Amino acid sequence: MYLNNNEEATLFGSNPQHADVVVIDDDDSMCEGCRQTLEAGGFRAAVARNGNDGLRLVRHTRPHVALVDLKMPGIPGLEVMAKIPQIDSSIVIVVITGHGTIDTAVESMKIGAFDFLTKPFDPERLLETVQRGIKLSEIRKTPASTAKETMAAPKQPMPQKVDKHEVLLEGLAMLMHGYEAGLERQDVLNELRYLESEAKYHAESLGQVKKREKAILDIINQLKVVDEIIEKHGFRKNALIQILLDIQARLNWLPRHTLKWLSARLGVSLAEINTIAHFYGAFSLEPRGRHTIEVCLGTACHVRGGTDLLAKISALLGLKAGETDTQQIFTLKTVHCLGCCALAPVMQIDGKPYSNPSLDQMKKLFASIQNEEELVCRN
Amino acid sequence: MSKLKSPGELEALRHEIQSKRGAKQMITVCSGTGCLACGAVELTAAFIREIEKKELAHKVEVRPTGCHGFCERGPIVVILPQKICYLRASVEDVAEIVEKTLIKGELVDRLLYEDPETGKRIRYVDDIPFYKHQQRILLAGNVLIDPTNIWDYLAVGGYAALAKALFESTPEEIIDIVKESGLRGRGGGGFPTGVKWETTRNASAKPKYAIVNADEGDPGAYMDRSLLEGNPHGIIEGLIIGAYAIGANEGFIYVRREYPLACKNTRIAIEQAREYGFLGTDILGSGFDFDISVHHGAGAFVSGESSALMNAIEGRVGEPRPKYVHTSVKGLWDKPSCLNNVETWANIPFIVTKGAGWFKRMGTPGSTGTKIFSLVGKVNNTGLVEVPMGMSIRDIIFKIGAGIPGNKKFKAVQTGGPSGGVLPEKLLDLPVDFDELTKAGSMMGSGGMIVMDEDTCMVDTARYYIDFLAHESCGKCVPCREGLRQMLKILNRITRGEGTMEDIGLLEELCSVIKVASLCGLGQSSVNPVMSVLKYFGKEVEAHVKDKRCPAGVCKNLIAFHIDPEKCKGCGLCAKNCPANAITKTADKVHVIDQDLCIKCGLCISVCPEKFRAVEKVPAFQFQNAV
Repeated sequence: MYLNNNEEATLFGSNPQHADVVVIDDDDSMCEGCRQTLEAGGFRAAVARNGNDGLRLVRHTRPHVALVDLKMPGIPGLEVMAKIPQIDSSIVIVVITGHGTIDTAVESMKIGAFDFLTKPFDPERLLETVQRGIKLSEIRKTPASTAKETMAAPKQPMPQKVDKHEVLLEGLAMLMHGYEAGLERQDVLNELRYLESEAKYHAESLGQVKKREKAILDIINQLKVVDEIIEKHGFRKNALIQILLDIQARLNWLPRHTLKWLSARLGVSLAEINTIAHFYGAFSLEPRGRHTIEVCLGTACHVRGGTDLLAKISALLGLKAGETDTQQIFTLKTVHCLGCCALAPVMQIDGKPYSNPSLDQMKKLFASIQNEEELVCRN
Repeated sequence: MSKLKSPGELEALRHEIQSKRGAKQMITVCSGTGCLACGAVELTAAFIREIEKKELAHKVEVRPTGCHGFCERGPIVVILPQKICYLRASVEDVAEIVEKTLIKGELVDRLLYEDPETGKRIRYVDDIPFYKHQQRILLAGNVLIDPTNIWDYLAVGGYAALAKALFESTPEEIIDIVKESGLRGRGGGGFPTGVKWETTRNASAKPKYAIVNADEGDPGAYMDRSLLEGNPHGIIEGLIIGAYAIGANEGFIYVRREYPLACKNTRIAIEQAREYGFLGTDILGSGFDFDISVHHGAGAFVSGESSALMNAIEGRVGEPRPKYVHTSVKGLWDKPSCLNNVETWANIPFIVTKGAGWFKRMGTPGSTGTKIFSLVGKVNNTGLVEVPMGMSIRDIIFKIGAGIPGNKKFKAVQTGGPSGGVLPEKLLDLPVDFDELTKAGSMMGSGGMIVMDEDTCMVDTARYYIDFLAHESCGKCVPCREGLRQMLKILNRITRGEGTMEDIGLLEELCSVIKVASLCGLGQSSVNPVMSVLKYFGKEVEAHVKDKRCPAGVCKNLIAFHIDPEKCKGCGLCAKNCPANAITKTADKVHVIDQDLCIKCGLCISVCPEKFRAVEKVPAFQFQNAV
């Protein structure tokens, strides 16, 4: 079923047809794709290509589920969403978002969306979401659940919460309350179980959002460090190597975004920065372990068995020279002369030299560092 | 502290420091990198606690100093003014040293140096053979000075040479003194320093720059590290005098980042020098302006080459550039730049104070003054030694270094780092002199002296240097980049026992091309290790090629470790310690090494009890036959 302004009268004159799902999206191919998928899945589907048409269609067809695109010409998606519950509070709203704007999606969840689909999504996911939506809508339509309507389908947008986790916690608390109230009706229990699984699902989504937020924050902080260092060196282009050394010292490696940032801030081409970063042994373009083990392969160490020392350490840590372990605790490096030739052969951990360490000594050293790291991780 | 405005004020301050300090007894604790690794920090702290506990602070001072040089026996403690020297002192010895030596005036015998021949304990630092045969001028300050305290340097006459240069001589006169002294570049090349300075002074372009090369890249050498760590003011003073002589107002110290303590102490010293008016505008009221920035090297051997180093200071990739015009005329930012090694700069204050005549009396006519060597490798007394030029290598290794450990036989000594060569026993009487060493196919280099004994494989040594150089080659010119790579391939083949006699001829041919066709010193001198090995140790190379045998038992492919079932008592020490878990116990309690798992680290040999000596190193082919 397809709806255009001029077709409306013919299709929904006096006898409005019923639809399971209404898709509101300004993208033709999206609408058509959804419709075909849904009909192949056994649902009756109707589509509209803007918010006004969509609301009319919803009014006429009273679907179980409405799929709403957030970014459309005319009435914005969020407004459409807010109006649907006024038509029928049992309609379950699923948001379609095409911009990876998870924040907007989360926003829509707050004002009552049941779930969101990020374009492009696969047919299975669409069908699965719609199925769950229909189930919830049916529960909403049963009279007994009207008592719990506030928690199942809030008509009014919920008050803005600063912490998204708070919203979830509140929802979970309400669920617990529902269980405690000892509601015995099977359908209500079903709904409660349903809500619980939804809450868990959203908690996970929010966790991912948090993770991304943290990653972005980390990047921003690293760029701040770069800015600080550039300023310390007075924005001088010829201090490039010193700046890179400082970044390496602070971050333990040179992440690509810091180099890009540096290039923009300093007006030096990224190619030139990369050349320098590759040329000098001091720079690492990959994350390093938090502890660097350097085995000296200077001449004095070489004649006194530096390579044997390296072989032993390699065997103990299961790392080759230049490698970092999976937990990013240790990076094993070789270095040409640390200038501790009288102590040969020398191993250095985080700048502290050890003269010809015995196997036992090394085992203990490595183990103590690993333990420390585990403690830090746990805390 | 307000800036000193005249030489008179400097002398007044010096007098004040000396009289304030009076005749305190002093405990100096070597805090060079070597001793720090052996616990010098804890030791110093323990001494300070003990002195406070015994309420001796008014008459005893504890001072962490620069490297004393005898790194083998660290941490080193010297009690002044008596110059009593305690070696390998530990925190547990502190109370006894304070009680016996400082309060009662007795000695702690067990911490004194023991003469390996007579077994007699030696009381004073100057009588220990390691120090007795040295002539310590540049390193003398290290023993007395806390590098982070400018007062210590002033107390021993610091910055007097600067005052003398600025107020009693013209720049031309300073250059004349340096020329007259015969001082030659200590970084390895041996170019006359005075002539270099004159070239920069006479160059017409401005501004000019004075630079310290502290990118000590030679593996096996750490003189510059110790000088910068132990007495940074000496180098700074030399640099200011040099800048005055050539007419520079801006200077740089390019120091390796691998030397964090040197970086730190240099920074502190520069700040203090600024505070006291030795750096900045109108130095000591002379009207001469000069200041220094510190640049950190980022770990590239080739960046120690003059033009590469200057590229790096400019913030570019540290590759050498063709030097149709010397860097002393067209260097940093294409301006005249005078680059000298740390040790060269450190010599300047002494030459200015004591005169060219004094300096020339040390050493040989062609190589004047003293030279610091890092005496390392298979030698009993490893450490930093400063000797007058012209001393024979034999004296350095056997008198100062006390010979080879474990009664092993001397095989070779390597000087000049990757640019130098190996010298066999028959050349041991060669004097350390720029020209003599070059004639013998090695070079003075920056001062690494690596001693090798019968357990060192010379082919492996050549392979080691070429491997090093192939990694460090910047790749700009073809002969160096490709030539070294091919040489490495050949040497790898030979050490694996896959070499042919044609390979040796090919090596010689490659050497002759790389030597003349490379762009910079790294490539041109890179062939020295290989050529000297082929020249002096040809038989050993042939043993690898013809017999597939490594006489020294080093080349892993040519050796195998084997446990003699007759001798093995099944104690299990080797199996317990094997990092590769290659050793298992058989039914009859004897241990066996799984050759496929063995990483040939040799740990089993070192842990097998002396009385059993069941693990042996055998030529790989012999072992394969036995199996």
